[in-house]
Amino acid sequence: MQDQRSPRLRVTGLHVRRGDRVVIHDVGLDVAPGETVSISGPSGCGKSTLLRALAWLERPDAGRIEIDGEDAETIDPRAYRRRVSLVFQEPPMFDGTVADNVRFGPRLLGRELSDSEVAALLRQVSLDPAISSRDASRLSGGERQRVALARSLANQPRVLLLDEPTSALDPEAAHGVIAQIRHLACDGLSVVAVLHVPEHARSLGDKHLRMRDGRLEPEESTA
Amino acid sequence: MSYVEIPLVRLAGAALLIAIAVAVSRRRKLDLEKDLLVGAVRAAVQLVAIGYVLVLMFRSESTWLVIAALTVMLVVAAWTASRRVTHGPGWRVLMPRAALAIGAAFCVALLPVLAWVIPVRPLLSARYAVPIGGMVMASGMNVVALTLERIMSSAHQRAVVIEQALALGASPAQAMQPIHRQALRAALTPTINSLLTLGLVQLPGMMTGQILSGTSPLQAVRYQLVIMYQLVAVAAVAGTLAAWFAQRALFDDRGRLRRFPAAVQDGGKHGGS
Repeated sequence: MQDQRSPRLRVTGLHVRRGDRVVIHDVGLDVAPGETVSISGPSGCGKSTLLRALAWLERPDAGRIEIDGEDAETIDPRAYRRRVSLVFQEPPMFDGTVADNVRFGPRLLGRELSDSEVAALLRQVSLDPAISSRDASRLSGGERQRVALARSLANQPRVLLLDEPTSALDPEAAHGVIAQIRHLACDGLSVVAVLHVPEHARSLGDKHLRMRDGRLEPEESTA
Repeated sequence: MSYVEIPLVRLAGAALLIAIAVAVSRRRKLDLEKDLLVGAVRAAVQLVAIGYVLVLMFRSESTWLVIAALTVMLVVAAWTASRRVTHGPGWRVLMPRAALAIGAAFCVALLPVLAWVIPVRPLLSARYAVPIGGMVMASGMNVVALTLERIMSSAHQRAVVIEQALALGASPAQAMQPIHRQALRAALTPTINSLLTLGLVQLPGMMTGQILSGTSPLQAVRYQLVIMYQLVAVAAVAGTLAAWFAQRALFDDRGRLRRFPAAVQDGGKHGGS
């Protein structure tokens, strides 16, 4: 059993360079089980790169990432990315229906989600399960973001990384998604979300951090 | 002798056919006269040179000379296949891999044929191994070039889709599967098309050459069929290996997609994104 006080995700001394430029500078971050962390900051300050590095899609030049006390370097990358799942800002849909997309992750392991499991995941992100038979390439931006969230949740991650999860949503839908994410956190899911709308960042995050020139700084606590 | 020899004077006369194209270029202001003349002279010099090399090889019957000729062909084929790949790690990284893919396809497609189907002795007889090996390598070169270019440029264009699949727990092979499938289909399609239209749309050069030199058309057909079956195997083996090598170059040891800037021609760098 994981000690509730020890962090679910621990990041220490993370550096990412692109050529001569340091994009992420000595970032440290602890996220407890069920904790939501929101990160805001100006464009190009390194927020998305940080999420990509945490999702093991970007090679850090230095630093350490631990999940439940295990060094990420020692975990199979596929298993790590199931435990720490990134939802892109403009998530691409795979060919097929919404249900095919939601089933994508479990299918890679040879497990087929039932129709009721797909419906439950869609309801979790405030989508009508009737959408499951629709062609995923014909969804609106907001629907895509929510289907992508359901697709990540299908892998039952321990940490959810969200890159601007409300950017394609109208205010009402954005509040709905924030409420859903907070609800998921109550069930023990840890969340790190990059949000550019300050109000969304404050209402989502137990801990609100600000990123400036690749450095992460505490801003305020809303817990 | 069962064929009509071409005297040098008449060969020079045939070169006048180029004058037609030059005249068209001049009249239509295509500005291609220089290219046409250089092309005609280069083709003549290269072919006459290779003609003398082949005469030398046929006379000596040295297996080492044949191996040397095949090695040169392999190096040129691998360099040609890897040098124009955009969004790749550069030809220095790709060329050894292209050579392995073409070389493996050459071994799979040529050696069993020379050992059993066309049972020549010695196995690497210059008269058989060099021309047939050349055709096999040229085909392998085209397949490898097509596969490398297609996979590298598709991976660049569809990087977000690949990374989305990775983020959901896919392995690099699983994330690349749709791109691999498309690239291999594209690599195999021209060979399959030529199989389907053989004899209907085209009389292949090798068969035509054999018939002109006095071989029975039925024997020439058999040789051509063997070559065509070889080319199918070459496309399958070279394409599959090239796709595998491309994938290995595209991902780092922790399954992260590498990004390559467009048209890197000097190679050697393997930096992450």
